[in-house]
Amino acid sequence: MASRPTVTILKADGSASGATHPLPKVFNSPIRPDIVQTVHTGVAKNKRQPYAVSEKAGHQTSAESWGTGRAVARIPRVSGGGTHRAGQAAFGNMCRSGRMFAPTKVWRKWHQKINLGQKRFATVSALAASSVPALLLARGHQVSTVPEVPLVINSEVFSGAAIAKTSAALGLLKSIGASSDIDKVKKSRKLRAGKGKLRGRRHRQRRGPLVVYDPEVDGKELNLAFRNIAGVETSSVFALNLLQLAPGGHLGRFIIWTSAAFKALDIIYGSSTTPSALKKDFLLPSPIVHQADVGRLINSSEIQNVIRAAKGFSKTKRAGVQKKNPLHNKQVLLRLNPYAAGYSKDKIGTKGLGAGKPERAKGTQFAKVIKED
Amino acid sequence: MAHHSTQVSSDLIWEISRNQNSYLVKRAQSGGIQFSRDPLNLTNVHSRKNAGFVNDKAVGVAPATDGGVTLITKKVKHPQRPASHTHTTTLSGKKSTRKTYKTIASNTAKSGYRPDLRASAIARASAIRKSQKEPKDLPESKPRGAKAKKAAAEKEE
Repeated sequence: MASRPTVTILKADGSASGATHPLPKVFNSPIRPDIVQTVHTGVAKNKRQPYAVSEKAGHQTSAESWGTGRAVARIPRVSGGGTHRAGQAAFGNMCRSGRMFAPTKVWRKWHQKINLGQKRFATVSALAASSVPALLLARGHQVSTVPEVPLVINSEVFSGAAIAKTSAALGLLKSIGASSDIDKVKKSRKLRAGKGKLRGRRHRQRRGPLVVYDPEVDGKELNLAFRNIAGVETSSVFALNLLQLAPGGHLGRFIIWTSAAFKALDIIYGSSTTPSALKKDFLLPSPIVHQADVGRLINSSEIQNVIRAAKGFSKTKRAGVQKKNPLHNKQVLLRLNPYAAGYSKDKIGTKGLGAGKPERAKGTQFAKVIKED
Repeated sequence: MAHHSTQVSSDLIWEISRNQNSYLVKRAQSGGIQFSRDPLNLTNVHSRKNAGFVNDKAVGVAPATDGGVTLITKKVKHPQRPASHTHTTTLSGKKSTRKTYKTIASNTAKSGYRPDLRASAIARASAIRKSQKEPKDLPESKPRGAKAKKAAAEKEE
């Protein structure tokens, strides 16, 4: 690589401020959807609260089996008389008002331990994917109006609690071309199907941009500004969460960086040779291949110089061509039978065996020989 | 010049996004048919060749407001700048269709940009131009036979 790529730092109106920052090394990490997905499924389980049915459910009756000989099934039956309930089957999971099969317990294994190395790998992988516009589009973010990805806004825009009101935040999002992504979220808000409506999950909606800031430089007021905009989330650069970086385990979250947060990335994650300053024993994972573009590899002079020439002829047999009938197609006939050209030119096919009547044998040498005594 | 990172290639993006992406439409009918809603996909078929968001070079043809077609091509130079990433040409509906097709062919195939997409680009433009025509009136019915003529005459009254 020649020079390290740089990223433009934008002003509040979305134009380039003139300042640039070299791309932090995290963005060169390998993008591994398999690791991100497995880690995500684990991490997503760690916010669950235990639930279970009542321990007593289905067992609050003094049912006893009637035993054999009464021509009914041996399931426990409610004792006593005087109501319809008496004599009905109880306890079993197949019974009305019976207990469920394998009643849920609060001591189910709700949470998953994920290895720290894997969690870190997944996070840097999701960060690297967030710098690829094609993956943002594949995730469904409307980024075709955004000037650059990764999108970095100068921290001066946020300084002194300048963005503390939602109107200011909306104005900023609009000027940097993120408003179409916000509109998409707004339009997507739908009532949830099922019981989740009653359990604090009334609506479902898409995710919008994630605003990543440095709390020491940018302050925390921007949280208040962004929190009422549908789909927009904020996160400190020191506490990035895979659930926000790759929602649903799908790579390519649209991230809006403040310049302070962007600059902090190299300190937080280090590089593949210098360890991270904040994470103990962490080096960025280095990619297995340095050039991932297979076409470029094949066409590179290094490879083209050492490969041998292609085998075979310039004219190779073409597969899957239509068969031509040589009786109808002259060219195909000539390819099969070179004699056909002369045959048709001299009109041999239309000539008879000989012209006129056959010669009589009477006066010929043949007759003489036959008659010789 | 591809992406910022040499780790990212079209092949990788395709492998990441081929099973699920926002443009992909999967249906159980017709043997699990898969289509794409990508504006830079000429045939709307979900495939590596036609996936506009994956390839560095891609062509899109869309109906224009004035009755013509809009030709969209991707710029190769700055993949990190989505806002200035596409080149758009509007081909007026007043032009003859042949000229439209010729422009599309020269912009996409003859210039060596994406020669493999020539046929599908022109086919899409042709389908759009055809859809923009006003449909012809149905031919007048010619009733045959005395009975049918009588019925038609009664209907007119």
